[in-house]
Amino acid sequence: MNADRLADIFTLMERLDRHGSREPSLCHVAVELTGLDGAGVSLTPSPDVMTILCSHGPAARLLLGAEMTLGEGPALHASRTGASVVESDLRHPSRPLWAPYASEALALGVRAAFAFPVRIGAIRFGALSLFRGTPGELSDDTTSDSQIMASVVARAVLSMEAGAPPDDLLSELRGPFGLDFRVHQAAGMLAVQASMPVRDALVTLRAHSYANGIELTTLAKNVIARRASIDQKTGAWIDTGAKPQ
Amino acid sequence: MTRESVVIQTIVQIADNLVDDYDLIDVLTVLVQRCTETIGVDAAGVMLATPGGDLQFIASSSESMRVLELFQIQAAEGPCVDCVRSGTPIVNRALTEDDTRWPRFSPRAMTQGFRAVHCLPMRLRGTTIGALNLFRTHEGPLGSDDIVVAQGLADVATIAILQHQTSLSAGLLNSQLTNALNSRVIIEQAKGMIRQALSCEMSEAFDLLRTFSRDHNEKLTGVATRVVEGELTPDELRVRPRPRH
Repeated sequence: MNADRLADIFTLMERLDRHGSREPSLCHVAVELTGLDGAGVSLTPSPDVMTILCSHGPAARLLLGAEMTLGEGPALHASRTGASVVESDLRHPSRPLWAPYASEALALGVRAAFAFPVRIGAIRFGALSLFRGTPGELSDDTTSDSQIMASVVARAVLSMEAGAPPDDLLSELRGPFGLDFRVHQAAGMLAVQASMPVRDALVTLRAHSYANGIELTTLAKNVIARRASIDQKTGAWIDTGAKPQ
Repeated sequence: MTRESVVIQTIVQIADNLVDDYDLIDVLTVLVQRCTETIGVDAAGVMLATPGGDLQFIASSSESMRVLELFQIQAAEGPCVDCVRSGTPIVNRALTEDDTRWPRFSPRAMTQGFRAVHCLPMRLRGTTIGALNLFRTHEGPLGSDDIVVAQGLADVATIAILQHQTSLSAGLLNSQLTNALNSRVIIEQAKGMIRQALSCEMSEAFDLLRTFSRDHNEKLTGVATRVVEGELTPDELRVRPRPRH
């Protein structure tokens, strides 16, 4: 498969991180990887709230800002629906509702906009937006690269929200492409235990794993085997400390 | 029923499933279950190569099979790992305690009661996109007819992943695989919630999702998404519709 593309992403991250910026290099990597003109990562903690995690390219931050103000656009749509958005020519936006967004984009020199959901299963953290100054579709390969990038962003967002030290991010992401399935099952169990969304449960699980130096899969196995749980009233972890084989 | 009619029935059922807008995980689950009925094997599973180059479990006929598939991923050794790497089938491979080829996998599989393994590649125009694993609890070779049927089922699994695409570029294939893996994650998140809410086993949680999906003619991934998003409670999954007269 495309193992080399994932390796490319990590090599780019490593190179760009060496420049010493505190801002995550994810958007810069996305631009380099896809060869487009701009990129941005927006987070939607709730359907009506959007924040910008990072951006790269002259117009990206301004256009995402306009989308926040308008409350409509590709990034919000991708975040809300979990589907990718392709606006290959913003002179003719595909949705009449997006006419104001399209005119903002054109004024900023953006002619095509694309958005990919940043998701882990049914959890939607936000979207990866990509911008280009010229009209046209994305090639299948660029679409695939963008999706791989969106998966990397999803895991980066999870780590950041769980309080991972920024310096550890790269080594954290260099693991397998996806998390062990038991991690997702454990997140589902915790969500019910603590009456919280699965999104928050996954972040809580990751954070507990960091804070206590327990490997994520080991903690997930403990949750599934009911050796570790969250007290519904206090929100505190109840960990019997038993280690599985 | 004669063996031929069992095979024909299986092919017809799967082909029938592939006609409309189908749920990939559901189709692959039917496929692995039918493997255990039509070929002389005790457990079957499908693993896919991810855009990261590693393997991910996507469907299995039993929990013990699933644990072994996960073990192959973690240990990075085993029949499926070799089969995907080489793109060639592994047939009638007996397991031994002192296996030098798979020193960690074989003893582990034997403790689950398995004695022989087979693995058939899922190939698409020169690329191996995954593999169909077949495990037996007794020694003795699979017949050549069984192997033909098994490779046929592996090819059907490949066709299922194409999801109606008549031509498929590498980029588009990666998109399909990414979506398939994300669907599996949604199902695992929902299973965790159901297990916690109803105090049941993960396998029962999966059966509840599937039964609800069948009863309401709703896609499996769609049902799981509604559970994770809190639109459908685990309790509601247990309610069977009244039969119509």
